[in-house]
Amino acid sequence: MPGFQTEWHGVASWTWDAQDETCGICRMAFDGCCPDCKLPGDDCPLIWGACNHAFHLHCILKWVNSQTSQAHCPMCRREWQFKE
Amino acid sequence: MATEGPSSSSSAVVCNLAILDSLTDDSIRQIHDSYTGFCATTVTLLTGAGDLSVGPEFIAHVHSLCHHGLHSLVRDHFLKSLEEIFEQNGASKFWRHFDAYTNFAILSKNPPPICESEVQEVLCKALEEISLEKQYQEKCLLMLSHALQSYKDQMSEGRNPSDAERSHLFSRYQLLVSSVLMASLPRHFPEILHWYFKGRLEELSTIMGGEFYDDESQDKDEMDLDEKSKISYRTGEMDIDECSHQGKFLENNKLVKNIGKVVRDLRSLGFTSMTEDAYSSAIFLLLKAKVHDLAGDDYRSSVLESIKGWIQAVPLQFFHALLAYLGDSVSYDSPSSGLKSPLASHPSSCYPGIDTPSQGLVRWQLRLEYFAYETLQDLRIAKLFEIIVDYPDSSPAIEDLKQCLEYTGQHSKLVESFISALQYRLLTAGASTNDILHQYVSTIKALRTIDPAGVFLEAVGEPIRDYLRGRKDTIKCIVTMLTDGTGGNPNVSGNAGDSLLEELNRDEESQENTGVDDDFITDDKQAWINAACWEPDPVEADPSKGSRNRRKVDILGMIVGIIGSKDQLVNEYRVMLAEKLLNKSDYDIDSEIRTLELLKIHFGESSMQKCEIMLNDLIDSKRTNSNIKATIAQTPLTGAELGDSAVSMDILDATIISSNFWPPIQDETLNVPEPVDNLLSDYAKRFNEIKTPRKLLWKKNLGTVKLELQFEDRAVQFTVAPVHAAIIMQFQDQTSWTSKNLAAAIGLPVDVLNRRINFWISKGILAESLGADSNDHVFTLMEGMVETNKNGGNSGSCEEILVGDDEGERSVASVEDQIRKEMTIYEKFIMGMLTNFGSMALDRIHNTLKMFCVADPPYDKSLQQLQSFLSGLVSEEKLELRDGMYLKKK
Repeated sequence: MPGFQTEWHGVASWTWDAQDETCGICRMAFDGCCPDCKLPGDDCPLIWGACNHAFHLHCILKWVNSQTSQAHCPMCRREWQFKE
Repeated sequence: MATEGPSSSSSAVVCNLAILDSLTDDSIRQIHDSYTGFCATTVTLLTGAGDLSVGPEFIAHVHSLCHHGLHSLVRDHFLKSLEEIFEQNGASKFWRHFDAYTNFAILSKNPPPICESEVQEVLCKALEEISLEKQYQEKCLLMLSHALQSYKDQMSEGRNPSDAERSHLFSRYQLLVSSVLMASLPRHFPEILHWYFKGRLEELSTIMGGEFYDDESQDKDEMDLDEKSKISYRTGEMDIDECSHQGKFLENNKLVKNIGKVVRDLRSLGFTSMTEDAYSSAIFLLLKAKVHDLAGDDYRSSVLESIKGWIQAVPLQFFHALLAYLGDSVSYDSPSSGLKSPLASHPSSCYPGIDTPSQGLVRWQLRLEYFAYETLQDLRIAKLFEIIVDYPDSSPAIEDLKQCLEYTGQHSKLVESFISALQYRLLTAGASTNDILHQYVSTIKALRTIDPAGVFLEAVGEPIRDYLRGRKDTIKCIVTMLTDGTGGNPNVSGNAGDSLLEELNRDEESQENTGVDDDFITDDKQAWINAACWEPDPVEADPSKGSRNRRKVDILGMIVGIIGSKDQLVNEYRVMLAEKLLNKSDYDIDSEIRTLELLKIHFGESSMQKCEIMLNDLIDSKRTNSNIKATIAQTPLTGAELGDSAVSMDILDATIISSNFWPPIQDETLNVPEPVDNLLSDYAKRFNEIKTPRKLLWKKNLGTVKLELQFEDRAVQFTVAPVHAAIIMQFQDQTSWTSKNLAAAIGLPVDVLNRRINFWISKGILAESLGADSNDHVFTLMEGMVETNKNGGNSGSCEEILVGDDEGERSVASVEDQIRKEMTIYEKFIMGMLTNFGSMALDRIHNTLKMFCVADPPYDKSLQQLQSFLSGLVSEEKLELRDGMYLKKK
């Protein structure tokens, strides 16, 4: 039997390891990016709250900043805290 | 006795019948005698070849007749006799010379050359003869006029204007001569004249043309010489030049003189216009032949200048000499050249030769030049198709054509002829879309030179665009041309691709320029300048197509115009880009980035957004890939499972894509060999560590594998798709597989496996044989592999074979597949509709879908797309098409 030498160039896709498909705020896919961003992935990361809901970082920051008092999670109304 | 004065008019004589009564017998006898004498002497005078001895007698008779007031009788009778004799002696003899040529002139357009020179001789001889005759008759006429004159002088001592009488006589004679000749003109005479002039002019043109070319070649030689020798030889050379010029000129002069003589003789016989017709048609014929000869089928050099030069050198020289020779007998000639003697016209400045062109000469020059332009233009227009085929090389011909058209203004001829050539030669089923596009681009470029406003281009481009719209692969070809041709099929003429890419570049520059322009336009002064140089559109412009500012010729715009919308183009480009990127085994995307930047400029950033993300993925992948490799260096062993059989992570690279922004990717299950699989999951794990909380999903059927199969005697390299690698690697442990088992091991359906494994069979690596079960083939690894050589030769130890793109081996779904997939959503709607309504026409289905499918995803397909989807359903026997109506198949 012959010997083999290989150089393997594979193709893979990345995905956010989140339970949901889309961001609850902008309704865009997690694997896409928020409306303000152009490039998905590192440039438009996800962030998880203490309640385990995920959003685009930019979306939830906008939400948090727009609230006058303590911000709540848009999904479950619990007090919003970034997951450690 | 006659009482009326000698100056009384002849009409008075006729009317005054009383005179008859006053005639005495004596005077009657006298009149009778003189008349008989006059008639007799007239006959002797006219027929007696050159014998003027009867002159005094003749004069006496004339005087005596005049004495009785019979001037007009004398004149009329004399002219009558002249006419008769001229008819007998002159005209009929003259025509008899040409009797021999009746046939050739009628039968053949091109008489044999012997005939031609014979014609020359005969014509000269005939003319000489008839001229002699005419001269003699004129002499006789002069005698008559003198006789009349002398009588008048006797009678009235006071000086009467006498020239009137004489010129009246002569003009009558001239009229007489030409009417006699014209009345008996044989039909072939103009032909004969034509051949005569043709022959002579050809002779002349070879002499003068030779000189013209000598001059040119001498010029060239001189240019080759270096300065020093040029100066030293200069004087001597000039002398020689002059001599040879003079020699030639004399020769020319003789020839021209001969022709001039013929022309003059012909004119004096009253053939002025016929002669002019003959020599101008001969010259035009010659010019036409010259243009055809010079222009020919060579489009790589400009011929207009040399044609003009030739016009200067040959026909104009000829006319110049001819007009000078004919002198003031040329009615439209300006007096200055009329005064010039033929010798004055020459020799020191021989080639331009025409110091002060006379009006007639200028007129001839304009005629000749217009004719040359028109001929060249017709010639080029007829061959425009070929010229455009090798466009960049044939630009001199285009440049010529442009000048010609500026002069003649026959653009519509070009449009018509070119369109019909296109219909006949290009827009046929046999021409490949690529060729058509290439020709279209060349057409745009070439016509842009001729007509910067693009008016005619629009007319010409329309049929091509219409035709291309009907072709399925148009978009694909355009995109291939836009992205460089090298990445795609090598058969595709790379030239076309280059030219479009270059066009993208050019476009960028021009856009920058217009940007600058726009800034300036705010300036009032600039606006004024712009307004001042406004030019109206050519008359042929289609008013519905907007003015020239909007019609700026832009190749990409016109190409996109074929497709209709840029979205389709961008989409096709995205699919092709994806295909290309996924098959890359390195991360080198410089040329793609460049292309994308150019496309972004043209199509706008937002439409190219997804493509940009795709390229960005490649850049990110490269970075991530090296990061992951770096983690291996830090923690070389992550698990105990990496044993002997394990392969190093070095062999694995990955392209990590953001799948949402890529075109739908064909997913196929595939079990890759275990060591590789381990490697893949290890890679994914490391990715997950670096990029938490992101994870990696392998698309195992995609990518490229470089394989080196090492046999005992040699090694063979392949670059293949993973599926091929997976197949062949199964043979590492087990050299023979049945297709069912192999399919199970790899995780492919048997039929797919059978198709894929053909690759290895065709390479001679595997052999297929029938197993126990007829459906179950057995594949065996060929150990010795002598047969490999059958595919291509002296492979040696290193053979790199790139897997061709078969159908079904694409990694990305084609645009058509995508559309079909998208359309399936509407299948249910359509079925429901048809259940309710029974049958519906295409339009109605389309409109109903548009009306009701507004929710996610809205119905946004074109009528054509719907139609092709419906016909798909028809072929699946779900629907039926009857009389243009769709209905559910029962």
